[in-house]
Amino acid sequence: MGPVELLHMTVFSQSFSPCGRFLAAGNNYGQVALFSLAAALSPDATAANQKPVLTFKAHEGPVFSLLSNDGVLLSAGNGEVSAWSWTELIKKNVKPLWTKRPDYKSGLEIPEINSMAINRRDNSLAVGAGDNNVHILDLEHGAFKATLQGHTDYVHCVCMREREAELLSGGEDGAVRMWDSRTGQCVHRIELYKYESCARPQYGKWISCLTTDSDWMLCGGGPSLSLWHLRSLSPTSVFPLSGCQRQAIFHQDMILAAGDGAFVSHCLLGGEVKAQIPCTAPSLNTLQLNTRSSEHRMLTVGGGSNRIDIFTNLSYRAFSLSF
Amino acid sequence: MSTDALKKRKSKVIRGEGGNPETKRGRGEVDQDVRSYNEEGELDGRDPEYDYQQYKESCDSLAKLMSEIQELKANGAKEGNAEVELRRMQGCIHFMNLKKLNRLAHMRLKKGRDQTHEAKQKVDVLHLQLQNLLYEVMHLQKEISKCLEFKSKHEEIDLVSEEEFYQDAPEEISRPNLTRNDLHQLTLARLDWELEQRKRLAEKYKESLSMKEKIQKSIEVKKEHLRSLQPGLNGIMQASLPVQDYLSMPFEKTQKQAEIARHLPPPLYVLFVQANAYGEACDKNLSVSICGDVDEARALSKPPDDSQDDESDSDAEEEQEKTKRRRPTVGGQLDDKRREMLKRHPLSLNLDLQCKDGSTLHLYFFYLMNLNIMTVKTKVSTSTDLNTAISAGELLKSDTLLSCLYSSDQGRETPNPANRYQFDKVGIVSFSDYVDELGYPYMWVQNLGGLHFPSETSEGVLVGSSLSASHMESTMKLLKGRVQSRLALNKQFASLEHSIIPITSECQHLFPAKIVSRLARWTTISQQEYTELSFTRHVSEAGLARETDLYFMGVVERGTARLHAAVVLSPRYPEISPLFSLSLNWKGERSGRTDDNLRAMESEVNVFKNELQGPKPGHQLLTNQIARLCVCLDVYLETEVQDDSVEGPREFPREKMCLRTVRGPNRLKPFKYNHPQGFFSHR
Repeated sequence: MGPVELLHMTVFSQSFSPCGRFLAAGNNYGQVALFSLAAALSPDATAANQKPVLTFKAHEGPVFSLLSNDGVLLSAGNGEVSAWSWTELIKKNVKPLWTKRPDYKSGLEIPEINSMAINRRDNSLAVGAGDNNVHILDLEHGAFKATLQGHTDYVHCVCMREREAELLSGGEDGAVRMWDSRTGQCVHRIELYKYESCARPQYGKWISCLTTDSDWMLCGGGPSLSLWHLRSLSPTSVFPLSGCQRQAIFHQDMILAAGDGAFVSHCLLGGEVKAQIPCTAPSLNTLQLNTRSSEHRMLTVGGGSNRIDIFTNLSYRAFSLSF
Repeated sequence: MSTDALKKRKSKVIRGEGGNPETKRGRGEVDQDVRSYNEEGELDGRDPEYDYQQYKESCDSLAKLMSEIQELKANGAKEGNAEVELRRMQGCIHFMNLKKLNRLAHMRLKKGRDQTHEAKQKVDVLHLQLQNLLYEVMHLQKEISKCLEFKSKHEEIDLVSEEEFYQDAPEEISRPNLTRNDLHQLTLARLDWELEQRKRLAEKYKESLSMKEKIQKSIEVKKEHLRSLQPGLNGIMQASLPVQDYLSMPFEKTQKQAEIARHLPPPLYVLFVQANAYGEACDKNLSVSICGDVDEARALSKPPDDSQDDESDSDAEEEQEKTKRRRPTVGGQLDDKRREMLKRHPLSLNLDLQCKDGSTLHLYFFYLMNLNIMTVKTKVSTSTDLNTAISAGELLKSDTLLSCLYSSDQGRETPNPANRYQFDKVGIVSFSDYVDELGYPYMWVQNLGGLHFPSETSEGVLVGSSLSASHMESTMKLLKGRVQSRLALNKQFASLEHSIIPITSECQHLFPAKIVSRLARWTTISQQEYTELSFTRHVSEAGLARETDLYFMGVVERGTARLHAAVVLSPRYPEISPLFSLSLNWKGERSGRTDDNLRAMESEVNVFKNELQGPKPGHQLLTNQIARLCVCLDVYLETEVQDDSVEGPREFPREKMCLRTVRGPNRLKPFKYNHPQGFFSHR
């Protein structure tokens, strides 16, 4: 990887290992890099410790999504999902456990996979793909068992609402759809761009970030990032953030959001922006909180750069890992 | 009175005693003449043991008599009592006896002493004799060993072996009947034979000497003859020059050049030989010639005191340099020292490298004598007159033409570490101030000259011709490639300045038939201007905008949109591809830092450059990159989402065929052109 390639690298996805000591990050060249957090956080860490312990080519296309489940790292790229064993990866054995491709209808271009979510209830994987559909992969049997059709443009993001057994998906068409994960029927549809409070026609109508917490949903993209009450299906607060948000997460009584602009926004549930913490990448794609290991508790942020910023304290960037 | 009486008695006794042997003699009157009274004689006859017994008895009986007398006296016996008298008498007799014994004992002692002395003397004499004899023995032994160790001179003489001797030597010398069994005679005979042989060899030597003299004389005569031929030959040579020229066989020229080459300093000579060899063996387009003042060089190769005069007749060019170099703050003496230090060898080497298209790269190699480094100056001459492109001005300038021929070889600092100290002495801060006059001390120039300087990354160390030879081919190829790429760029720049992007037929398939965006401007900018641009900061931070690079600014226009492309062109182009940074002026300003799609366009030209290389060695890379930039701008503008709230027709109608306009989380546009089908897709 030459300096020019590094200059044009984009980090799309991240996932912590089940033990919380490693971070996997996927970039636009189809590579997945493993970073050792213990080494990077140690007091005598050098620049070499901020480099990946292992970099491997996982897919041909960009790795848009990474997910850890049950000791397995799931990576999505080039229209397919691959599974890698974490224990083997840590031992630097790079060999996928399996690779599955949803049954796409369209032919000319392979639809990308933009997002993945695990449904723990029936151990299945929801895959939001570029063919406008959400595909359900049964992890027990290793076969695609259902296709959720309804979106009129490609699916940006999917997320699971565990308690209600509901699957949410947001797409380029501007709709957030809620599906009953048992029947595969669309229960609700919210079109954010139609709500005046969050619509931003100068950007567009797509939904690029989506997350839920019990009765609350956070979504944004072309329209402003907004907090929704799901039982009443109404927006409770709209966050005055410029640019499109690509990922948002609930953290304690706060919301962390990242997207266009080289900063992570800290928002209060009421709708105020509390702080914007600068990062190295000019635009951000992915936020990830490590909750699996108490000693390596941190926030990692990746985006349009070969660097992944590490926040051991949410209020400032501690250092950066780099490809 | 009694003592007197005792004395009398004593004498009597003596007499009596003395008389005792007389009485004995008297008794043995028969052999009177033999038995004369002789106490000494008696001594021999007596046994000392017996005498000792007698003495003991006498002492005992004397003691007994004394005690008896005392007893008698105690019992009241009177003086003169008969019994006492008797006992006194007997006591006297015993005393007599004791006296005699005493005398005898004395005599015996004396005799013993005499005997001992005599024996001692005898022993001494014998001992002396023994000493003499021992000494004699030792002396004789020494003599013997001396004899045994005697070395004859003949042992050092190398003799012929015994078999050879019997084979070669005549009978009268070898005398086999005599020598076969007698080793001594054999040796003598062999020595004789040796002498004989040596005599013969000496005679032969004399003969040879005289022969040699004769031959030498004849050689002299012949030499004289040959010398007389020289003027005639010279005449013929002179006459043949026109013929040589006519037949284009430059015997004379090469010979002259070789003659001059002898005066080249060693590094230039190595380069001369290697370049000639390489030119003959591999590359007919390489020609080597020597320029400069031969006489001066000849003077230089003489002892140093002669070379002192050379300074006075230094040519006008050097004088000019001197005035240039003079700084107001530095005294003339220091300036002279500097001039001396930076002095070039009067001879320089001129390498002409001809490329296929008729253009020629002239390389002038100089040798700085005191710094022990080589420098190079360059010039390019082209067969066709180049249309002068303003932005191409830098391309063929000698200071950038050969920069970084090998990676990070900028030729600004002297490669010889020792020069640092020399510079400190005369106050030269950096060699780069002088490169314009003296030429560039690139590392590869040193290598071609066989000079090796240790550096941090030293691999196998080659020195001299082998070093030069190992670098010759690759360097010549690089030089050719460099000149060709620069000439190609020069041509391309000329048309770029006229807003025409030259695309050759081989590369036509990389782009769609219709490209609406046009290159509006192509200018050269300085590094400072480049770094001051806001959208190039990430390139500078990544260390990809170096001092040696060339910088350009291109502007691509379509309608109201203006795309600025800042380009970093490495001197090693096309090996290292140009790096584009983009900024778009359309509905506000966006750059690759703020717009993911512009960033994708940057990577389309910067990262996926291999598709754009065109035919080898990729001289069309830059123009293809610019062309692709135009295509990408078309796609960018045509796929931009129409804001429904704005009325009126779209500024940029959708003309390009795209499968999808956006894809992926960061909603990239399809910038990849698929050739035969003619549609655009995503990476």
